Amino acid sequence: MPHHEFDCSTCIPERKKHAVVKGPGETIADALPAGYLSTIPGSISERGCAYCGAKHVIGTPMKDVLHISHGPVGCTYDTWQTKRYISDNDNFQLKYTFATDMKEKHVIFGAEKLLKQNILEAFKAFPDIKRMTLYQTCASALIGDDINAIADEVMEELPDVDIFVCNSPGFRGPSQSGGHHTICIAWFKDKVGTVEPKITSDYVINYVGEYNIQGDQEVMQDYFKRMGIQVLSTFTGNGSYDDLRSMHRAHLNVLECARSSEYLCNELRVKYGIPRLDIDGFGFAPLSDSLRKIGLFFGIEDRAEEIIAAETARWKPELDWYKERLTGKKVCLWPGGSKLWHWAHAIHEEMGVEVVSVYTKFGHQGDMEKGIARAEEGALAIDDPNELESLEAMYKLKPDCIFTGKRPGEFAKKVRVPYLNAHAYHNGPWKGYEGWVRFARDIYNAIYSPIHRLALVDISKDELPSESGFQTRRMLSDVNLSDEIKNASELRQYTGKFDVTPDLRNKTALDYPYLRQDKLEQLV
Amino acid sequence: MACNLSERTRAGIINPIFTCQPAGAQFASIGIKDCIGLVHGGQGCVMFVRLIFSQHFKESFELASSSVHEEGAVFGALKRVEEGVDVLLMRYPHVRVIPIISTCSTEIIGDDIDGVVVKLNEGLLKEKYADREVYLVPIHSPSFVGSMISGYDSAVRDIVKYFATKSDPNGKINLFTGWVNPGDVTALKHLLSEMDIEANLLFEIEEFDSPLMPDGQHVSHGETTVEDLRDTGNAFASIALNRYEGGKAAQYLEDELGIPATIGPTPIGIRNTDAFLQTLKKITGKPIPQALVKERGIAIDALTDLTHMFLAEKKVAIYGNPDLVIGLAQFCIDLEMKPMLLLLGDDNPNYARDPRILKLKEKVDWDMDIITNSDLFEMEDRIKNKGLDLDLILGHSKGRFTAIDYKIPMVRVGFPTYDRAGMYRHPVVGYAGAIWLAEQMANALFTDMEYKGEREWSLNVW
Repeated sequence: MPHHEFDCSTCIPERKKHAVVKGPGETIADALPAGYLSTIPGSISERGCAYCGAKHVIGTPMKDVLHISHGPVGCTYDTWQTKRYISDNDNFQLKYTFATDMKEKHVIFGAEKLLKQNILEAFKAFPDIKRMTLYQTCASALIGDDINAIADEVMEELPDVDIFVCNSPGFRGPSQSGGHHTICIAWFKDKVGTVEPKITSDYVINYVGEYNIQGDQEVMQDYFKRMGIQVLSTFTGNGSYDDLRSMHRAHLNVLECARSSEYLCNELRVKYGIPRLDIDGFGFAPLSDSLRKIGLFFGIEDRAEEIIAAETARWKPELDWYKERLTGKKVCLWPGGSKLWHWAHAIHEEMGVEVVSVYTKFGHQGDMEKGIARAEEGALAIDDPNELESLEAMYKLKPDCIFTGKRPGEFAKKVRVPYLNAHAYHNGPWKGYEGWVRFARDIYNAIYSPIHRLALVDISKDELPSESGFQTRRMLSDVNLSDEIKNASELRQYTGKFDVTPDLRNKTALDYPYLRQDKLEQLV
Repeated sequence: MACNLSERTRAGIINPIFTCQPAGAQFASIGIKDCIGLVHGGQGCVMFVRLIFSQHFKESFELASSSVHEEGAVFGALKRVEEGVDVLLMRYPHVRVIPIISTCSTEIIGDDIDGVVVKLNEGLLKEKYADREVYLVPIHSPSFVGSMISGYDSAVRDIVKYFATKSDPNGKINLFTGWVNPGDVTALKHLLSEMDIEANLLFEIEEFDSPLMPDGQHVSHGETTVEDLRDTGNAFASIALNRYEGGKAAQYLEDELGIPATIGPTPIGIRNTDAFLQTLKKITGKPIPQALVKERGIAIDALTDLTHMFLAEKKVAIYGNPDLVIGLAQFCIDLEMKPMLLLLGDDNPNYARDPRILKLKEKVDWDMDIITNSDLFEMEDRIKNKGLDLDLILGHSKGRFTAIDYKIPMVRVGFPTYDRAGMYRHPVVGYAGAIWLAEQMANALFTDMEYKGEREWSLNVW
């Protein structure tokens, strides 16, 4: 297995160990790039900081909370309105953000007094909200403010409020991943076990590592409810602060994004003996397997099978319509952390696309192990990619589409590669059966955009076809398809709605009796 | 009935109007050709600023980080600046300018970026890059001072101070545009061209609206060169359109190189554009041509169609960059509108002495509040709890939820405007900007009338 050396990075030879090409017959034992190492200064890496990993990625999706950062205003501003983690309480967490506004005098004389004033003001401005998460930043860490002490002081003065403190300054570790770790451990240590929940089902789970991007959590929660499972808490998308304090009472931790929050599941297993079950909400087969595993754990496989059968029958014909048209298309799977292994095999098997490259900005070696194991031969795997390497890879691999972040997407646009937002999605949710079809639909719309085709034309040189005043996507996508597939009546394009969340929110769950409760009452 | 100037009374910020100084320095940096700023601090200080630029312009810009991790924060991180400069120069052979931009963390730990520049100039650049012309410009932008506005203002001054050299007079004026959009640069260049005036425009960012070309050119960047920057010392006059964004640089050139500076007014609206043209006429001796008289006439004609019928007495709140907010308020007043609330998002003490604000305090004959060091919650709180009744909001996208939740029509203006398409393409300055703004405001009100069913029939015969 060769490490891959980018032409643009020969002058920084340490980069060589961060990229590999998966050769024929090779396993991860042969092909594994280094990961989660110090970033090379000036390389124009795409990594963020440990503050954003804690606050922006994990903390802020919590919906019924004042999220306040102790530091100068920039950290707060920058991590506000740049993600799509929605909630069913009118998106409070997207709308409001709080900064203590540390200034020079505070840096010199300390900002603890300022912090306390801020906390009191914030609760006063939003009297209905009694919960707060409070984040350290580089500045407040370096001046040594004791944030926990101030939080304790306020909680003593205002007995009805509860404050969670996360000390994860931006410089803590090589990427946002350090912040994921810090906040998970802090939440476990400080908050889990401080609220006793009302148990309403025989089957109780925490849904961990799920951030409700465009409604993912609500889609998945719907399946769990239909199985009669109580979702005690979601860490953290659409999640409620007090629910998350009662995580210790679940029977099972269902873990989605292991990169960001396996730490929490592992702690819960050690202290409370709650097993961890890793699942995939992406892809028909991985999702079906996941629901089966959960069903199996609780002995309610039949409920899982019922959902799998109904959802597959409803949506598979639509997925297959896209699969026929996406087969063989080359994609670069360039997300932040865990999606490279959540998606690599699923998009290949279920949508037919070829994953020619995977990368991870803040993943660890474990993510690469899983990603490379699931990627195809010849795939280029890059750890902590930088701008020039991404560009070189795009020129070399000539993908039809890349899945990456907003800003790198703009950069890809200029080399005429359409992008889909791997973090925030285009028109999600992309989890669930319907969501997976929406993802396929979005890929199809990106790859077969007539405007994208026009971008490839140089009117000063190229011969232009004279007859066509327009092109439909199907004129492009169906050109090499057999008539049998083109006219297949069992296949169809996506038929869902523009916005799927209202229906989910209006739904009432199937009513399975809470047996243990019944037994308890009989005994009494 | 009067205009009051006050400061935010809460200690903290709920929903900020501005981000911090390094973002302003980075905005200046991307305006320079063959330049990649190296931000000395945590990676988020760059990653998110690049993101907000790409949200606004729908383009990606090159900015690098020194990637300060824990060991750097504890033991000092200047080594990482040295390495960062070397890595940038090795991998980007065209790079000539590297602004070294400090942040809160590296200012607090006391990293001496001026010292490291001296060290690099004497060492690395001489030893390894002797055949290459490279300029390292230290820019101090601690996040706990000022805001992105002062960060931009100081950075522009520091860059000009670094490069400006007096040699032969170039017969040009320096035009410091302030924090504007490509559409504004186009509009300004048009006015200058009509006046037959050559200007050294800082920064030349028209290319921020960059094309998607068949050959796959991939980076958007500014076009102001090292030579242009040097040449700022040879102009016969400077105009800074914005007092708080570029004013410091113009003042520096006046104080140190004797180049007379005119600072403001921001040419937003008819009257301020008139003033800008008068300034151009005065300092160049060139007449205002008939073409501009006609252009002005077209604008006045367009505004006349709107003002007393639709815009008169509309109550408006405006927030964002200070010169923009003041310019918009002045223009709205000319359009018979009533600015009720102006929010300036930082604590610059000069606002209280700004002649434009003093004039508003003196002459406005309705209740108008100007809040400095403000946040966006100030506006929402007044709407929700203090009876502020608004017909229109003018501001950037970060305030969108107030407009949405309280069903107040809003025109996106300023930076950033990521929730409407193509706003960076349109000017707010010049006569073209006056037309664009007034028509945007009118159309926002019209859409709202139709959506709410309020006098929507009145548009039948307009």
